[in-house]
Amino acid sequence: MELSRRDFLKASAAAAAFAAAGAPLMLTGEVDAAEAGIKWGKAPCRFCGTGCGVLVGVKDNKIVATKGDPAAPVNRGLNCIKGYFLSKILYGKDRLTKPLIRKGNKMVEASWDEAMTLIAGKFKESIDKYGPDSVAIYGSGQWTVFEGYAASKLFKGGIGTNNIEPNARLCMASAVTGFMTTFASDEPMGCYDDLDLGDTYFLWGANMAECHPVLFSRLIDNRLKNPKVKIIDFGTRHTRTSQMADKYIKFNPQTDLALLNAIAHVIVKEKLYDETFIKNHVVFKKGKTNIGYGLEDKFKFTDDPKPMTFDEYKEFLKEYTPEYVAKLSGVPAATIVEMAHLYADKSRKVNSLWTMGFNQHTRGTWVNNLAYNVHLLTGKICKPGENPMSLTGQPSACGTAREVGTFTHRLPADMVVTNPDHRAKAEKIWGIPAGKVPAKPTYNATEMFRALDRGDIKVVWTQVTNPFQSLPNLNRYRKGARKGDGRFVIVSDMYPTKSTEVADVILPSASWVEKEGVFGNAERRTQQWFKQVDPPGEARNDLWQTIELAKRLGHGNLFPYKYVEKEIWEEYRKFNEGEGKDLAPYEAYTKARGLRWPVINGKETLYRYAEGYDPYVKAGEGIKFYKNKKDGGKAVIWARPYEPAPEVPDKAYPFWLCTGRVLEHWHTGTMTGRVPELKRAYPAAVCEMNPEDAKKLGIKHLQKVKISSRRGTIILPVDLNGRGKAEKGNVFVAFFDENKLINELCIDAYCPISGEPDYKKCAVKVEKA
Amino acid sequence: MPQTGVTRRRFLKDGVLMPLALALAGGSISALFLRSADARGFYLRPPGAVEEGRFLGACIKCGKCAQACPYNSIRMAGADAGIGIGTPHIIARQEPCRLCPDIPCAKVCPSGALDAKLENVEKIRMGTAVIVDRENCLSLRGLRCEVCYRQCPLIDKAITIEARHNPRTGVHSIMEPVVHRDKCVGCGICENACVRDKPVIVVMKSPPLQKDYYEF
Repeated sequence: MELSRRDFLKASAAAAAFAAAGAPLMLTGEVDAAEAGIKWGKAPCRFCGTGCGVLVGVKDNKIVATKGDPAAPVNRGLNCIKGYFLSKILYGKDRLTKPLIRKGNKMVEASWDEAMTLIAGKFKESIDKYGPDSVAIYGSGQWTVFEGYAASKLFKGGIGTNNIEPNARLCMASAVTGFMTTFASDEPMGCYDDLDLGDTYFLWGANMAECHPVLFSRLIDNRLKNPKVKIIDFGTRHTRTSQMADKYIKFNPQTDLALLNAIAHVIVKEKLYDETFIKNHVVFKKGKTNIGYGLEDKFKFTDDPKPMTFDEYKEFLKEYTPEYVAKLSGVPAATIVEMAHLYADKSRKVNSLWTMGFNQHTRGTWVNNLAYNVHLLTGKICKPGENPMSLTGQPSACGTAREVGTFTHRLPADMVVTNPDHRAKAEKIWGIPAGKVPAKPTYNATEMFRALDRGDIKVVWTQVTNPFQSLPNLNRYRKGARKGDGRFVIVSDMYPTKSTEVADVILPSASWVEKEGVFGNAERRTQQWFKQVDPPGEARNDLWQTIELAKRLGHGNLFPYKYVEKEIWEEYRKFNEGEGKDLAPYEAYTKARGLRWPVINGKETLYRYAEGYDPYVKAGEGIKFYKNKKDGGKAVIWARPYEPAPEVPDKAYPFWLCTGRVLEHWHTGTMTGRVPELKRAYPAAVCEMNPEDAKKLGIKHLQKVKISSRRGTIILPVDLNGRGKAEKGNVFVAFFDENKLINELCIDAYCPISGEPDYKKCAVKVEKA
Repeated sequence: MPQTGVTRRRFLKDGVLMPLALALAGGSISALFLRSADARGFYLRPPGAVEEGRFLGACIKCGKCAQACPYNSIRMAGADAGIGIGTPHIIARQEPCRLCPDIPCAKVCPSGALDAKLENVEKIRMGTAVIVDRENCLSLRGLRCEVCYRQCPLIDKAITIEARHNPRTGVHSIMEPVVHRDKCVGCGICENACVRDKPVIVVMKSPPLQKDYYEF
């Protein structure tokens, strides 16, 4: 560890010299004076899934500065405005520093021993009385790999319940099921290099300008260099991304399904597809239709895939004529045809990029499948500069939630609990008796909190997330948590949040560089950092907290580690070896600015499934979707129809409500809200509304309005000409503001395949307040 | 994007930035923008204020505009304002003008110091926002900030983004916020929102249009 630290510092010095040479704005004297006595270490940014590298400057056990890491390939020394203020997120005045236990209506300071004894007692009592499925842990795409791994091992391998879910269920689950159903392996084939190498970019439901700021500036630079570059933004709201795109195509919410089928329709009808590619790399399938919306408690769905021929698929596409879909979507038929030609243009390197518009969708899995369809039809996939790419929103949604598999149904490395061989492999690596890991998945995130509301789950522990602000149909779940009758909520966090409000025990957590960690970003890049400062007061690592519970429940034997992080890593790697998801030894990550898996013999992989890049693809194979063994190494084109949203605007609730982010804040604002500069830059949520709609209702800019759905009501000022411009019949509200819980209005309908709720569509009414 | 381009920027540069740069060289930096708004050599008056000389003559210091402001943006000047004592002004960094669509402050002005007939907020001319400290502007350093742009109530009109290649990284673009003087109303929301300890974008007195010896 000592050695690697020294190597790292050497590398940093070299990188800093490189940066100084290229940075005329920095005056060397200034830097020297400011940097006296500061020790620099590396870390990935704490915020989104881009995974920018930063250098963390520490003096007297406090972070005094950060800077974009010039040696980090993701961002080459740049950050967005949130990344600029990283040094402040740990130092909010109301940082939690002591465990707190609820005594009546008061939260009373307690020792760790008292708190953990109480928690372990509640777990034991509940497990004894109601069985292991009455306790649960709800974690996060901000869990480090170690934290997620330890939680999964304890719950699945120790306690013997699949009651583990990450908040990534609310943001990435549809991307996962999209990848799994099309390629039988999670995570993208391409990487961020595609942003530099392609010339045609279709953005779908992605406000990259605000939500992936540094990647967006890379995309724009590509266009500055190459006049051929075109950026097409498909969306339901005119955003800062739309403003900078070459073309903004607005469509009616939910009709992305029909649009992608119409694009495929044109490609097939005009024979613009790549016949050889289809013959060699593609099979066709259809699944169930009319699959429901997960609105009822204990909703269950199992798809029933059936093979079909290319001709049958062509038949399926027949109804999606540009004219029919134009009526449905509001996009002119000629535009649909033009876009199909652009996708299929053989002289163009085409990429699709998407985020929550696709994933938070009651047909999220389908719409992911449909995007892949177009790339598979045209053979524009697995090549430098030509790939579909699902961008992620959390720093380790990929690295932890998806790769470690901290979902109820998952195990590490694409494995699932329903497969006996997968369970056996996990049991062997974990050194636990055969049959210990339960075969049946229990609850997705929404269902987990429904179970808490019903009382089927009694004890729930949340770590690194804020579900009591971020769940849809929030009123039900906030009330559910406080129903008593044996329910017990434990919240580990660094600050008081909307979730600590409903907690019975609050545990103060270490954050970011107050602990050692590994995150994995959206391009399969695994990034490690060391602990660089001590957490304040008695705050402790979530990893320590989980292992402490394990010890008290008699599962301490699962965690026999000395150097916990490194040993967990080496154990975790065993799951990935030989599975196309190989990871390097821990040492390698301590030095590198991240490595993109599979990493074999120290070499990272830029393009999965592609000969010459992916060592799993043999010479002469070209492209091989080798993870999809049951379809002979081919990818699947899915016939997925258009189906409407569960709740659409009507007379009583005439507007669509869409929620999302702004650049200045992240998620529920618990960190960015503690940075005074960011708070001042964007203090409170507003309701974006179309000026024509406002005029009809007699509502003026900045006037307060009451927005209501069937589930909740909030009052907000209206913004008629802000950064986002609502289309007619739509309103938009950001979800960061803890004083304006917009998620109370959202519907808790979810994609039956992915279990991911739709935060982008529900029906609301708007009245003068 | 609106048709703006070089000429207007050139104008801003020469008309505003050059004098500023000269002032900086002369050591009067604090007098220009590092103290409170009035230290800049002008008071940011409420919307619809007539020319400063006439304003001082007309304003009866009744405070009705300040009472009408729903955001408490308008305050009455103290003794340090000299002849302007008791006149209304706005300190944007503390609370800028939020550009209420019905302009309630001007509507209630009984003296004509504020134009009560002003209807369209886009016609307001309180001053002009200027990036006065390019070295400390995070957007100009290549960071994705542009808070001033996104919070501008006349986004894409008064402030636009002009992207250019960032040679420092080789693969990113610098997204430069560019203020358009003919559209900027001088509300000060950008100055208020700027994330730097000392705002790098501030509202200045609009320089007067100069006589041209050249046809643009």
